[in-house]
Amino acid sequence: MRKGFIFNHNKCVNCNACNAACILENGWTVHPRNIFTFNSEAEHLFPIINLSLACNHCESAVCMEGCPASAYSRETVTGAILLDEMKCIGCRYCQWNCPYDAPKFNSENRTIAKCNLCYYGLIEGRQPACSSACPTGALKFGQLTETDSYMNYSWFPDKKLNPAIEFAGSDKNTPLKIIPEIIYEQIVPKPVIAGKNISNELSLIIFSFLSTLSVATVITCFIKGIFPDKMIFIPVILLAGMVSFFHLGRKLRSWRSVQNLKNSPLSREIAVLIVYAIASSATVFFHLPGFLVASSIIGLIFLLVIDSVYIYADYSRSVILHSGQTFVSALLIVSFFSGIVIPFVFIGSIKLLLSVYSLSVNKSNLADFGIRFLRIAFLVISGISMILNISNIYIFISSIFLIGELLDRIFFYIDFNPLNINTLIDEKLIIERDEKKRG
Amino acid sequence: MAEFVTACPRNCYSTCSFRVQVENNRIIRILPYSGNLATPEGPCIKGLSYIERTNSPERIIHPLIKTSTGKFEEISSNEAFDILSGKLNLIKEKWGSRSILWYRGSGMSGLTNEIGYSFWKAFGGTTITYGNLCWPAGLEAVRLTLGSVKHNVPWDLVNAKTIIIWGKNPAETNIQEIAFIAGAKEKGCRIIVIDPLRTATADKADMLFSPKPGTDGALALAVVKELIDNDLIDHEFIARHVKGFDELKQSLRISPDDAELITGIPSENIIELARIIGKSGPLTILPGYGLQRHKNGGQTIRSILLLSVLTGNIGKSGSGFNYANLQSYIFDNLREPLSYYPDPEKDIPFRRTISMAKLGSDMLSASDPELKAAWIERGNPVLQSPDTNNVIKAFSNLLFKVVVEQFMTDTAVMADIILPAKDMFEQSDIIGSYWSPYIQFKPKVIQSPGEVLPESEIYFHLSKKLNLKISNEIIPEPGNDNIEQWLEKKISGHPEIGLNRLIESPVLAPGLQQIAFEDLKFETPSGKIEIYSSEALVKWGISALPDYTAIIHTEEGKKYPLELITPNTGSRIHSQFGNLKIIKDTNTEPVVRISPVDANKRNIKTGQRIKVFNQNGGFISRVEISNRVPSGLVVIPNGIWFNEGGGANRLIAGEETDIGFGAVFHDYMVEIEEVD
Repeated sequence: MRKGFIFNHNKCVNCNACNAACILENGWTVHPRNIFTFNSEAEHLFPIINLSLACNHCESAVCMEGCPASAYSRETVTGAILLDEMKCIGCRYCQWNCPYDAPKFNSENRTIAKCNLCYYGLIEGRQPACSSACPTGALKFGQLTETDSYMNYSWFPDKKLNPAIEFAGSDKNTPLKIIPEIIYEQIVPKPVIAGKNISNELSLIIFSFLSTLSVATVITCFIKGIFPDKMIFIPVILLAGMVSFFHLGRKLRSWRSVQNLKNSPLSREIAVLIVYAIASSATVFFHLPGFLVASSIIGLIFLLVIDSVYIYADYSRSVILHSGQTFVSALLIVSFFSGIVIPFVFIGSIKLLLSVYSLSVNKSNLADFGIRFLRIAFLVISGISMILNISNIYIFISSIFLIGELLDRIFFYIDFNPLNINTLIDEKLIIERDEKKRG
Repeated sequence: MAEFVTACPRNCYSTCSFRVQVENNRIIRILPYSGNLATPEGPCIKGLSYIERTNSPERIIHPLIKTSTGKFEEISSNEAFDILSGKLNLIKEKWGSRSILWYRGSGMSGLTNEIGYSFWKAFGGTTITYGNLCWPAGLEAVRLTLGSVKHNVPWDLVNAKTIIIWGKNPAETNIQEIAFIAGAKEKGCRIIVIDPLRTATADKADMLFSPKPGTDGALALAVVKELIDNDLIDHEFIARHVKGFDELKQSLRISPDDAELITGIPSENIIELARIIGKSGPLTILPGYGLQRHKNGGQTIRSILLLSVLTGNIGKSGSGFNYANLQSYIFDNLREPLSYYPDPEKDIPFRRTISMAKLGSDMLSASDPELKAAWIERGNPVLQSPDTNNVIKAFSNLLFKVVVEQFMTDTAVMADIILPAKDMFEQSDIIGSYWSPYIQFKPKVIQSPGEVLPESEIYFHLSKKLNLKISNEIIPEPGNDNIEQWLEKKISGHPEIGLNRLIESPVLAPGLQQIAFEDLKFETPSGKIEIYSSEALVKWGISALPDYTAIIHTEEGKKYPLELITPNTGSRIHSQFGNLKIIKDTNTEPVVRISPVDANKRNIKTGQRIKVFNQNGGFISRVEISNRVPSGLVVIPNGIWFNEGGGANRLIAGEETDIGFGAVFHDYMVEIEEVD
């Protein structure tokens, strides 16, 4: 039978002993173990619930499957999912894929660090340091019997990964009655799901948008029967490559990124990128018509693979049905610059519908709404100009069109939210607050 | 690798047993020891941090002497003892040995601590302190009422149907008790917390009553009145075992409506509380120590204790009043709180005139002889004593200060000589607990680093240098075998628990009552539970009955709007452990916390630098705004070093509690303002 962590929140008081034991045992400079707290601001009317959580050593270990560098492995005796820091390239893809916030980025050596289940001690008959150290018995390690007990925690992410964890108790306990209530009348700023900070993903935005432009250029040239200008094309490809290279934590190990073609969409993305870069470069240098066809096809595959990298991490409807995906964007750009109206109207209408859909589900504040609306307006304006063939402001219209596509890509990153426990905690509090308000 | 069973000797309820693994003279791993039923899951984060603490590069491991430039320089132990014996002799000749203050804190418990007493006695006596900073008002309250201070074994708590955690925060200060509270809750027990703060313990409760600080006695007496008026008391128990019920009944003045005005708890909730207490037994009350660090602390504890007594919740499983359990203190000649009280006849040759609560002012006013020197061990009085300004002044006035310490504390920096102190793994000892009923052996498992010597050896070498006539039986020769022989002799009065048995495993105290007072015998003058205590009146000049006295602030104090409380927190034992990297790394504990209401009034934001001050002093720190704090309160945890932004004792005047010679920490008003 499977072993794993067994957690009883009735006994957890957020004392941090598990966390300290983990660090003392393994000498981490990061904290692989989190203590999540529902209602950490102690807002009255709501219970405070702690959850000590590190890696759940899932049966479907998406961190491992998605890792392009094959830096993860499953230890055979204990089933522990281990990360080899010497193999990790620091791409942080596992942080998207893991919903439990288990992989931690160590900014000192710029790789991931993660709970190893103290597997070496487990083999010798010791408990993991964290559960061994828990002074109340809230965190234990042992045989799992109720493998779906995490369903009792509405804020525990369920990605069907079969995590090795079991919960005693549930998060539905009676809120503490505070007497007198009046002293807690005023509340400090509440946890609200803040607008997502996409500055960390700037390099990915640049990479994916340049890739889209590049592929669109190749296909447009193919349709028009010309070859791309190498003085523009090559720098674009180089820039895209450089950006994705410098985004890695460990650049010298970037060669490892194609180690997991079998499972990792990210590995496949890098591989197809290389093939595409070679094919398209050969095309623009040597003006080989056959290569132009090949590059166009490889380019489209490349964009599909890019899109799959994201859908692998976040397969929610708002990502799958996002208008900012690279493949569909490239097709629209091609039809715009080729001047072929019917495909443009067709693809443009799809993107327009999807954008309106995004607008309806994702509007978080006025500024966000405004920019999303602007993006739709840009598409409509450039589309009408294109259909009416207004050529005297072509450059202006083209610019608006491309800015619109770039905005769309940026919104893709804003709307891309892989399932994560931190978000779920905030969402639960917001939901419970609304319920209280309605009585 | 070797493994030993040991026990944590800090001033803490839990006194955890744990296993320690040693490799190459280093502590490498700390693991739980399930044989101790009170702490089967092992120690808290502080216990785990011994791995760092013992091996810490910041530890003082050589004697240090302060040079004329004010910096410390390493010297050898031999040099240190030469200087010390010279200075001590000089001071003794010139001003007499009582011009030396021998100050002992609660930093490490163990039987070997009394070796120092023998040394100083042979030296001619010193000035020593009376009273205690922590808990004596409550101890005395329980002693006056029940005759002795004990309670049921910790694991009996799961049998309670109602648990009232009154001013205690076991989630931080007695974390193993949380397991028993959770166990009781799983069996349907109702958990009530009474605390001004929404503590981590309150997170586990069904109800939190949040009275104004210092008004707990009024709340308790209103509940008592309600219990009696509605006949929710145990008449048979009272008739057989209680003295003074009729007098009490006559004396009750505080109705739930009155109490609402005093405590801020609505009267209907007070009535509700009385119904729960009267109807849902067995009831265990877990009173803390913070609520008796008020001027009215002793009477507060006596008043709350009435709830257990009148409902017959004494001497039964699942019930009781768990203030402290001194059943394992079998080797003490005099148990707390009696050992805190000056006794001019027994104290000879010592002079016991310095109150722990008023350390600074008493040191300054000591005369005939004036204080000229201090020897401080296991304590950090500069940080931990009330009235910081006077304490610093008093220590600065001394000609010579010796501090035995592990780290460069706020007291150690004031020393002329620092002697490096042992850590818990470096000498064998025997310890009891004031919560669990075990007597435990704490073996020596590693050699001390550098020139660290245990106090017993410091005193041995010094007594040789000073040519004191003390036999080796009283101050054993260096070496752990000798200390173990000394321990064996020390416990020989209890042949049922020889040293070998203790080395094997923790031992339940001989004569232990798992259910305290199950024989319904009380060591009071009347042999009954004394609600009415003549001793209270005669000895302390308070009412013979529990009563409530409102805290009255001085004219000066009234100028400040916020009330200060300084609770203990989970990451330290007083001023210990907070300096360790692992503790800092895992605890982002704020120094000063205030309510959103008070923050908004002052336009203060979390993380801002603020000044906390009153007529006694002030300091600059960082603030956090917290929903856990009700308006009108400022919360500054105990034990934060000056350089971390601590200094709560700068705001505290130095006064004694109503009974027991305790220290008042909680009756002070302060103001907060932002610092530009």
